[in-house]
Amino acid sequence: MTFDEIYKIYWQKIFRLCLGYVNDFDWAKDIAQETFIIVWQQLPKFKHESAVGTWIFRIATNNCLRQIEKDKRTPKAALPDDLKDEKQSSIEPQIRFLYQCIAELPETDRIIISLELEDVKQSEIASITGLSEANIRVKIHRIKEKLSQKFKAHAHEQ
Amino acid sequence: MSSNINFKDLWKQQPVIEPDMKDLVNRLHQFKQSNIRRLIMTNILLIATSLFIGFVWYYYQPKFITTKMGIVITVLAMVIYLFVYNKMAALFNKIDNTSDNTHYLQKLIIIKGKQRFLQHTMMNLYFAMLMTGICLYMYEYTSRMTMTAGIITYAVTLTWFIFNWFYIRPKTIKKQQAKLDDLISKFDGINKQILDDSHLL
Repeated sequence: MTFDEIYKIYWQKIFRLCLGYVNDFDWAKDIAQETFIIVWQQLPKFKHESAVGTWIFRIATNNCLRQIEKDKRTPKAALPDDLKDEKQSSIEPQIRFLYQCIAELPETDRIIISLELEDVKQSEIASITGLSEANIRVKIHRIKEKLSQKFKAHAHEQ
Repeated sequence: MSSNINFKDLWKQQPVIEPDMKDLVNRLHQFKQSNIRRLIMTNILLIATSLFIGFVWYYYQPKFITTKMGIVITVLAMVIYLFVYNKMAALFNKIDNTSDNTHYLQKLIIIKGKQRFLQHTMMNLYFAMLMTGICLYMYEYTSRMTMTAGIITYAVTLTWFIFNWFYIRPKTIKKQQAKLDDLISKFDGINKQILDDSHLL
């Protein structure tokens, strides 16, 4: 697979993963781009020992974890201005609330749930995070439960 | 408890900016340039210090061995400092960012620990070498002064060194360490999330 193909196929997935992690559009774009720079650098060394998707998600999630080192960025609006003008009216507040809830989870939970929602197999999530498959299953269940509760509480408030 | 909310559906409805190859190529270009710039900057500093020592040696023709030793030790202090700092940056390039999160975090914590140790040792070594070097260097010139002038010169220099050693050095180390300690504890915190949950099953 060439870099161009990888970039086209995975850009959206990686971007959503980053957005779930930080809930900041500009910041997520930066992390996603950094990820693809690493992918570009590492691609010649890729040995096909794992699926290309697993490999890319590992780079992306490790890169997300490294964000702690960056100076704290003040959270901005979840959407950049240009996107806001066109699409904000059509965005369900529920989507925004979901990303906000995920970004508030502990770091590893954010990664696990984002990968799950991205339809990554649980065995692959285990291989990306280094946890056991059974562990991932339990965690996903708990995180979803937590999210459902938050959504219910949110619905009651409104 | 199962939820009626389809999180997957919501997740994927999030509008995403389109992949922008041109933007990425720009970033790649900037990335390559900044790497080259960093390499040039480090080398300029190293070459400049080496030229400086050569110039002092040649122009002032020091007679005493202490002066020559002083120059060498002082410059060596700077060169070692620069070298170790570059090495430290290189440490991070060695982390395999294609390994799984658990291993990656553990590696990161080890490297940060190494960085902490290196910074501490380096600051001490740097200050000690700089002080020794300058004291040795001064000897030839103060020996030509009167006794009183010589004593005053050394007294002033040593006072400055003591201030550096007991005030500036600990302060610099403390500042660097505080930043690293904060990072290490945050990484440890994430690592603990993983470890704590391994008893789930």
